[in-house]
Amino acid sequence: MTLLVAKDISVHAGSDRLVDPVSLTLEMGKAVTVLGESGSGKSLLAQAILGTLPKGLDGSGTLTVGGDTFDPARPQGNRVLWGRRIAVLPQEPWLALDPLMRGQQQVAEVHDLVAAASEPAVRAKADLTALGLEAAGDKFPWQLSGGMAQRLAFAAARAGGAAITVADEPTKGLDADRRDDVLALLRKGLEGGGLLTITHDLTLAKGLGGEILVMQGGTVVERGPAARILTAPQHPYTRALIAADPANWPRRVPPSVQPVLVRATDVTVSRAGRTLFRPVGFSLSRGQTLGIFGPSGCGKSSLGNAILGLLPYEGTLWRDPGAPKLGFQKLWQDPPAAFPARITLGQGLDDLIALHRIDRKRVAPLLDRLKLSPSLLTRLPSGVSGGELQRIALLRALLLDPVFLFADEPTSRLDPVTQAETVRLMTEIAAERDMAIVFVSHDRALLHSVSDQMLELSAQ
Amino acid sequence: MNTALNTIAFRLMQAAGVALVVGVMSFLMMQAMPGDMAFRIAAARYGYDLVNADLANAVRAELGLDAGPVTQFLHWMGGLARLDLGQSLVSGQPVWDEITHQLGASLQLALAAIVLSLLIGPPLGICAGLHAGGRFDRALLVVAASFRAVPQFLLGLLLIILLAVQMRLLPAAGHGSLAHFVLPALTLALGLAAASARITRDAMAGVAASPLYAFARAKGLSDGEVLRRHGLRNIGAPVVTYLGLQFVLLVEGVVVVETIFGWPGIGHALIHAVFHRDVPMVQGTALVMGLGFVLLNAIIDLIVRRIDPRGVQS
Amino acid sequence: MTAAHIGWSVLAALILFALMGPLFDPVGPFKQSLMKALSGADAAAPFGYDHLGRSMFSRLAHALRLSLLLAFAATATAAVIGIGLGALASWRGGWLDRGLALVADSVLALPALLMVLMMGVILPSTALAFWAGLAAVQWVEFFRLTRNAARSHLASPAVEAATLQGFGPVWIFRRILWPEIGPMLRTASAFGVGNAIAAIAALGFVSVGMRAPTPELGLMMVELLPSWREAPFALMQPVLACFALLLALNLIAGDRR
Repeated sequence: MTLLVAKDISVHAGSDRLVDPVSLTLEMGKAVTVLGESGSGKSLLAQAILGTLPKGLDGSGTLTVGGDTFDPARPQGNRVLWGRRIAVLPQEPWLALDPLMRGQQQVAEVHDLVAAASEPAVRAKADLTALGLEAAGDKFPWQLSGGMAQRLAFAAARAGGAAITVADEPTKGLDADRRDDVLALLRKGLEGGGLLTITHDLTLAKGLGGEILVMQGGTVVERGPAARILTAPQHPYTRALIAADPANWPRRVPPSVQPVLVRATDVTVSRAGRTLFRPVGFSLSRGQTLGIFGPSGCGKSSLGNAILGLLPYEGTLWRDPGAPKLGFQKLWQDPPAAFPARITLGQGLDDLIALHRIDRKRVAPLLDRLKLSPSLLTRLPSGVSGGELQRIALLRALLLDPVFLFADEPTSRLDPVTQAETVRLMTEIAAERDMAIVFVSHDRALLHSVSDQMLELSAQ
Repeated sequence: MNTALNTIAFRLMQAAGVALVVGVMSFLMMQAMPGDMAFRIAAARYGYDLVNADLANAVRAELGLDAGPVTQFLHWMGGLARLDLGQSLVSGQPVWDEITHQLGASLQLALAAIVLSLLIGPPLGICAGLHAGGRFDRALLVVAASFRAVPQFLLGLLLIILLAVQMRLLPAAGHGSLAHFVLPALTLALGLAAASARITRDAMAGVAASPLYAFARAKGLSDGEVLRRHGLRNIGAPVVTYLGLQFVLLVEGVVVVETIFGWPGIGHALIHAVFHRDVPMVQGTALVMGLGFVLLNAIIDLIVRRIDPRGVQS
Repeated sequence: MTAAHIGWSVLAALILFALMGPLFDPVGPFKQSLMKALSGADAAAPFGYDHLGRSMFSRLAHALRLSLLLAFAATATAAVIGIGLGALASWRGGWLDRGLALVADSVLALPALLMVLMMGVILPSTALAFWAGLAAVQWVEFFRLTRNAARSHLASPAVEAATLQGFGPVWIFRRILWPEIGPMLRTASAFGVGNAIAAIAALGFVSVGMRAPTPELGLMMVELLPSWREAPFALMQPVLACFALLLALNLIAGDRR
């Protein structure tokens, strides 16, 4: 049964076309997934279908839901679809749920006001029970775990009785375990309905199956059944996208034996009197990479900061006393936050060069090596993309000839292809310079392919 | 519960801080006045009519006024800690009696102004915030900004000229009938309304642009339902918190407006006391105003905790 | 032209008038000629005469000069004290931080007018009382701004990076903190000056501020109020001057965010 037909949907900003015409059909029980990076136009496509395009952007094409036709150029008309025929899953459920309303009420109000069903409270309770959320009914969203909030938002979005589910980037910024939860939820949405998912997440796309549309620069470059696209991609971009998945990265070649740089015995870190993780020990030589894995909030960053000497710790931590004082450097998760916001990147580098009397001639070859244009240095951090900024942060660290680099989830906010390139550059340069790296990530596949040894932290 | 106790503990500390600042200032005022300190304190205690050299000497001995400023200061603060505010230097009446006498008139005026401002400000702010950047929003921004540029005394002056002198609609000064209420209450309310419209508008615009608002609409709720069920709930805490901070503005307004319109309240009494260098009365009114702020904000903290149980952001 | 530009132009014009006006004024603000009371403009008094036959031009220029001088002095003093204590509190932390924050919160509960009135009893001169009283209240705003900005930015990755790269506190203040709090301080200063001018005029208007015969905006208004019917233009002058000054400062302050 066909639930939704979108024909020649495109998006314009004035005379600029941001999304070239795309057609897609949602069938009962079949998933359609739009795969692409940020800026590929995949979210705009979904917004054009839903009628939620930002001000200044116009959609065109035709949309048929059930027997009714809608015009994406007049998004106000789409409003009747929301909740009743299309359930929209929020990107970040924790922010999308009303923090001041109890869980069950947020579902019950939809039964009551949207579906006009009898006994909304009973129905809401049943919805929650079906998702294993019995305990969440009386709680406020901020009292729930991320996974529970996700399920609550799913229940609230679908309580209006919609057969179609649209999910825009449902796994953005999630740990691997949570990603599996989302996959299970979306599969539930497929039972007795259609599903349109917008994502950059190959694992999710694989798990959902159905049809995949690959978007780049506002155009669908390749489409077809999930199994075919993911195993035998035709278009070069699809191939690059699949190669960028850490699960498909080449295995790391172990480095030659080098002197030990950092040795930890029974080390742990406390915050506000609470020990963050069970004491750990490791020995890290120059040229080696240590991967640190663990659930969010377990103290991965704190352990790294303790090695850098930024935080007090318990246990024994030995750092090679022969290492230079400024030889321990760091890359941050949120690249713009790691730079002074109001001075140009070049100004920051100039200050560093002046402070440590560094030879200015070293900057140009490093820019070249990191594939950075010198003109980027005239901009403010806010005017440079995350991937470029992270490479400039690496350049800044390299000027100080580091022997150790703490990479604190350095690529978690980058697109897959950018992530692959950034990590490749980082590991290559570390090998050239015999630099030791401590790499923190919530992506186990990524850590497996970059690390010589892994350390899994567990909460105390 | 722990955070509720923290809130109360903070407000108690703040109250102590207010009393300390007022006490120090009052002590300095006493020191700065011409003449014999012991005589003035005796007058403050027993009234000017009864004071004589013996009483003054008794006070001097009791308070150790020859003992140096530190001891004197401790005695002064001791009186304050026992909530012994002394007598007015002008009327001879106990300061507490004078203040409780005048507080009622001030509270009436303040309450009328608050109610009036709440009827004007927040509804306009909600309308503007729901369509942030729209024509109404920009118009309100200009109007609110010009009202902020008009201090309350100036607004009072303009209203007197316009409504009392030119159009002869209302009495300019006095107390007693309902007509006397209009000008002073309106003067206070317009300034407060401009401020609260502005803050409501910002809160509403923030909530209307938030993911929670988008999700509530995506669930299928109508605009009115979204506003009633999610919008108002979420602007409540910031707006109420801000109203508490506005209390200082209100008190300042009350002082000026009461004096302009001859309203027999605590602000009028303060100006009168300053004019006559009646330090115990100044101390008493300052204390009541400062502690009133703390008390009101303590109540607001508790209300906000009920609206938003996540805890009060300072 | 933005709103802030308009604000700066109006402020500049008023300052110019306050500074230059007295140079072109042959009579001075105190010379009475009762014959000319409430009469219109002539060569000696381009803005006419008040109820005692004093030159409005001269009195207005002197009144503006007094208000601006007092307000700028008070806000500048408050800014220096507030920024200094705010930096000290966030740098040293601990009891000093909590103690200063409590003092700030206590002062916050007291209206500025009240502080000025109490200072008026303590200090020998009214001008001094305005300066001390306004500064004693306004430092809190600068203190809180500096402290909050320092707190949020000192914990940022940018500061962590600077520390790892060997930069000292001076660089961190100059390159990270100051560019962030600078614009906020400009807004706070404009509001501070505006509030100070309003307070001076308000207390003058209720006769507990500057004393007659000092030319002061609020005092001039209350003196000229009884003559409103005969000489509305005379009263409108200090009212408009006060409004223009406050509007200019509000426009300069812009949005408080």
